[in-house]
Amino acid sequence: MRQFFPVQDLARDERFVQTNMAERMADARTALDPEKKSKKSRGSSNRITPERHDASDAARGLMHGIMVGEIQALEGAGRTAHDFEAGDGSGDTIPFELKLDMARQAWDEARHVEISAKLSDWMGTELGQFAENTVLFQAACSDDPVLRLAGVNRALEGLAIDVFTQMKEFGNLAGDPYLAFCEDWMLADEVTHVKMGSDWLRKVTEKDPERRAKALEFQQVVDKLFSFGGARGDSEESPIGLARRFRELAGFTDGEVDKIAEMDHDAFEERMAAVRLAQEAAGASPAPA
Amino acid sequence: MADTTTTESTVRAPFAPWDRRDLPGSFDVAETARRVGNYKWAEMKLFETLGGWVATVPELDVKMRLGTHCYHHAWHAELWHKRLPELREMKPERLTVPANDKMVEFIDAMAEPEAPELTIEKLVGVYRVLIPRFVAAYTFHRNNTSEITDAPTIRSIGFILQDELDDWRDGEMMLQSLITTPEHVRRAADHQARLESIMVDAGGIAGHGSIGFGDDPSTEGGG
Repeated sequence: MRQFFPVQDLARDERFVQTNMAERMADARTALDPEKKSKKSRGSSNRITPERHDASDAARGLMHGIMVGEIQALEGAGRTAHDFEAGDGSGDTIPFELKLDMARQAWDEARHVEISAKLSDWMGTELGQFAENTVLFQAACSDDPVLRLAGVNRALEGLAIDVFTQMKEFGNLAGDPYLAFCEDWMLADEVTHVKMGSDWLRKVTEKDPERRAKALEFQQVVDKLFSFGGARGDSEESPIGLARRFRELAGFTDGEVDKIAEMDHDAFEERMAAVRLAQEAAGASPAPA
Repeated sequence: MADTTTTESTVRAPFAPWDRRDLPGSFDVAETARRVGNYKWAEMKLFETLGGWVATVPELDVKMRLGTHCYHHAWHAELWHKRLPELREMKPERLTVPANDKMVEFIDAMAEPEAPELTIEKLVGVYRVLIPRFVAAYTFHRNNTSEITDAPTIRSIGFILQDELDDWRDGEMMLQSLITTPEHVRRAADHQARLESIMVDAGGIAGHGSIGFGDDPSTEGGG
């Protein structure tokens, strides 16, 4: 078995179709609507609320995205447990206890796949019904374990905190205690994983500020990727809210959360501007700025 | 008020009649530490391999089981890691070593299959060769060590053996569901024979003496 495993070789059965971030965001079905329409329309809010006509489909799509994300998180944690020798954390080594944490995370993610598969079935979704974006595993492919901690545990698992909070709220609003119950359990695990990333990142780079700075920079790149189009942010316009309290529990400082919110806001504005330009080009009446 | 109660004696034997634990054991502290170090090394190699394989298997149920079992073996390694300082080894890494070079060769051969169509080979190596060897070595250790002086090792082995037996059953059931043609049977048997040969040369998880006392494999199990 190779020491590092490339994203294009991820093993899947024939039901799964893979895509990447650029293709996914170019999909017109994921576009945000800058114009506010009636309360029940897709454009009334970018958040998934039970009032929306497309609430069921949107929730199913998000749940499928969560499931494939969990599969990749399981694969990523497994690879980090495998790819690096136990050592003092310098060079290509990681502390023995960090390997143990990665194995623990693999088990947690395996349970999350089980939970998401059962929830998807409960919501009427077939495995492979939606395309799989492989960006999460890509962030777990770095040959520096500290970058994996920053990109996966802090940026992407941080996003999972936001997504699970959103789905839990949706479950409560929609009167689906089954969904809210499961999301609450997964949320507890994700906070643990993010905290694991925060703690190990600080510990491993304690005497190497340059390496820490590089890792935090990588985390921002991944965070920015997921801010694409403002898909996640403090604003009600963003489909996924920023779960500040849970992020705080997971070891994020207020400044770090504010920075993510700022990036999300900028990305949202950029995307809205792009949508307006596209509408103008198509001859539609432009949305108010 | 007059005390009407009589004082009953609380004198009892140190061991209750049903407690038949015995003091003598087959392993001294150094030998126990050596074996525990070998166990830790092998459990580490196993959890690393299972973690690495998760991304390489297309079968979703197998993928999830490998992730779950990866943690079981990591926890076993952690238990042994914590036991070593209690056995006078203050640098656990020093004893975290393979029993011999043949064990290294075995792990390399077991971890070799990577292609997505080799799930049978992956599972055979773990669930039909390595885990049965863990069950054997742990059972031998539990049944031969001092039930009183080495109680902490026995306690850990109890928890670990439960996992090994459960995982062994899980793995065997996955294999039986995957082996459905004569070609599959041949692949499984060939791979098992190849790995088993290396393991016989290695002598088991703790080397020759894993389930016996001599260096000579012919005395295995006989003492």
